[in-house]
Amino acid sequence: MINHHPKFELIQAFVNGDLPASLSAGIAIHADMCAVCQQKIAQFTEQVAENSFEEEFLDRFIVDDNDALESIAAINFDHMIDDIVQSSDIDIAIPKTEKSIEFNGVKYMLPSVLNNMVLSKKANIGKLTRTRIQLNEDEIHTSLLHIKPGGGVPEHTHKGFELTVLLAGSFHDESGEYVKGDFIMLDGSDQHHPVSTNGCLCYTVANDALHFTQGINKLLNPIGSFIY
Amino acid sequence: MQTNLLSIATNAKSISMTDKINHPQLCQWLNSVAHTRDKQAFTHLFQFFAPKILRIARAKFPNEAQANEVVQDTMSNVWRKAHLFNQDKGAATTWVYTVMRNVTFDMLRKIQGNKEDNLSDDIWPVAENMSSEGETFDDHLENENLLSVIEALPQAQQDVVKGFYFREMSQEQLATHLRLPLGTVKSRLRLALGKLKVQLGEKHD
Repeated sequence: MINHHPKFELIQAFVNGDLPASLSAGIAIHADMCAVCQQKIAQFTEQVAENSFEEEFLDRFIVDDNDALESIAAINFDHMIDDIVQSSDIDIAIPKTEKSIEFNGVKYMLPSVLNNMVLSKKANIGKLTRTRIQLNEDEIHTSLLHIKPGGGVPEHTHKGFELTVLLAGSFHDESGEYVKGDFIMLDGSDQHHPVSTNGCLCYTVANDALHFTQGINKLLNPIGSFIY
Repeated sequence: MQTNLLSIATNAKSISMTDKINHPQLCQWLNSVAHTRDKQAFTHLFQFFAPKILRIARAKFPNEAQANEVVQDTMSNVWRKAHLFNQDKGAATTWVYTVMRNVTFDMLRKIQGNKEDNLSDDIWPVAENMSSEGETFDDHLENENLLSVIEALPQAQQDVVKGFYFREMSQEQLATHLRLPLGTVKSRLRLALGKLKVQLGEKHD
């Protein structure tokens, strides 16, 4: 059962369209698998929409620049309407295509949110396989990370945040067991050592390199940015 | 609109939805646009939404031309996608908000990083379950019974029936559109019609 969900602040930012594509997609992937969050998102969206479109109605009684706004815009608006209704095109929604990706000989269905994102070539290191999702969000790196059975990521912290959404399989760390659908958001204060006994596939977003904290693994720090 | 100044000014947050926005009216306009490409209804929608969208967009885009573009793009999408609105799934305001937020999101991504990948509709689908059909073409329907009977069909059969009868697509076009073999389209259509006959026979006696 899914136990880890995005905080409400994140859901709010998601609904407002204020999050980067990487995190928005992470929440959408989670919500596809989580009826509870789906419901929260639907309710909050309805509320935000209601507020957005009634606000000005209230403003009419409170502030007075509404007339100015409409008078400036009125000319353009008429043109805009004419322009828009001239077209008889309608957008036909194309049925979602299902895409899959293979790791270690196993085929995984890709969440439909990722359908139009560009995936780079897979790269391997030990039991980890990673493919970068090219969202071009500067320091934010988004990936699909596959861990073979028995694999894991050495104990580390993050300089920024690290989001993991479990797409398949399970893993565990010091805080417990995570299952398909879990939305795990960690920040610099969290230190963990995830291990996947039976293998897993994750959608990951991190805004900085991992920082390995223990013994010999410190030697891995130069490749911290490779994994996430 | 049933409101009074006093209650709005003093107690805005506690007024229920329908008191502030005439939702049934918005739904009706949106459905008229969807069903009959009603320009008058669209003009009403435009007059209701456009100034508000402009105001919201100006808060997000300092550039006036960009804010105008949000209005233009959002309202053209409303015109072109109205048939994707399903009033059973939510309010018209919620649907238009989704369209506006998606336009804004894609534009911000474009401006900030020159990324024209238009991911928003994948993140926040404008149509439920990809089925663009919904109640779109119910002006072709005799009554709501037929629609409810069709909606009781398995999704795969619904897609074919709606495509064939409401969109007037050929079986070949449907096969391409739904990415199915022609034979599958034909057999689904046959199956669905068989069921419809039974259902409607029961209801129309």
